Amino acid sequence: MRRGPVRPYVITGGRSRASRNVLEFESLVRTLPGAAVDRTALNREQQAILGLCRELLSIAEVAAHLGLPISVVKVLLGDLLDLGAVQVLPPVRQAEQVPLSLLEEVLVGLRQLR
Amino acid sequence: MASDSSVEPTYLPSTVQGAVKILVTGPFGVGKTTLVGALSEIAPLRTEETMTTAGADVDDLTGRPQKTTTTVALDFGRITLNQHLALYLFGTPGQQRFWPLWEDLSCGALGAIALVDSRRIEESFDILGLLEEHRIPFAVAVNVFPDTPDYPDEELRAALDLLPEVPILACDVRDEDAARRLLIDFVDHLRSTALELP
Repeated sequence: MRRGPVRPYVITGGRSRASRNVLEFESLVRTLPGAAVDRTALNREQQAILGLCRELLSIAEVAAHLGLPISVVKVLLGDLLDLGAVQVLPPVRQAEQVPLSLLEEVLVGLRQLR
Repeated sequence: MASDSSVEPTYLPSTVQGAVKILVTGPFGVGKTTLVGALSEIAPLRTEETMTTAGADVDDLTGRPQKTTTTVALDFGRITLNQHLALYLFGTPGQQRFWPLWEDLSCGALGAIALVDSRRIEESFDILGLLEEHRIPFAVAVNVFPDTPDYPDEELRAALDLLPEVPILACDVRDEDAARRLLIDFVDHLRSTALELP
């Protein structure tokens, strides 16, 4: 499934954990178009992420489209976030207890589907 | 149904501000991928997560702890609920050995739908135990196969050793309308539970 000969460990520069907990499976990512980022400093996978995320996608979707494990994408995105190259929208649910209003919003949304 | 990383991405509306997630779990072949596919607005996608689990506590002769690497496939889909909110559905195997992946996945999840095949309920014991142990809100959904025996709920509840507050729902996961009703009933259950909290 994974493409290319490069092992994930190599792509991430030896790290296996992302540095931020805003980077979850369902966090949403978009490339910041105006960011002055030196693309030559980025590896191929990071450039691919910037190219893919011209509009909003979840981290899980980025991983699936690029054929990389989610854990690897999280690490790569951590760097892109530090460089100011991407915007990340963290998951809506942050509290231990799910707010009632959020469950109601989900329910209304589901009932409106056709 | 097959996911393909060469598929053009379907982007979310630019007004979306965040996402929530619900897990779909159950033993191999119970219909997780089918359910995710029936509910998703995009062609379901798949990622493969490499998971490193510590082996025995005893170090080997090289002084390094023994580790095994497993690959776990994760199928998922998406529903845009309104202009600000999206829902992701992650289909994930529930066995104890996949717990490292679960820890990441269940963090922030609204809850989990545990699919059960009533012809082989013993395959679900592990998963239900895991959900209870980690206090993940869940409902049991019996996937109705053509030759599924029609057990009364109480019999199934006793066989699965479910707590009274865990609802038992039924669904033919291939049917999109039935799948959507299942998801609505599940979120409605989460809402009723939240209403009862102090």
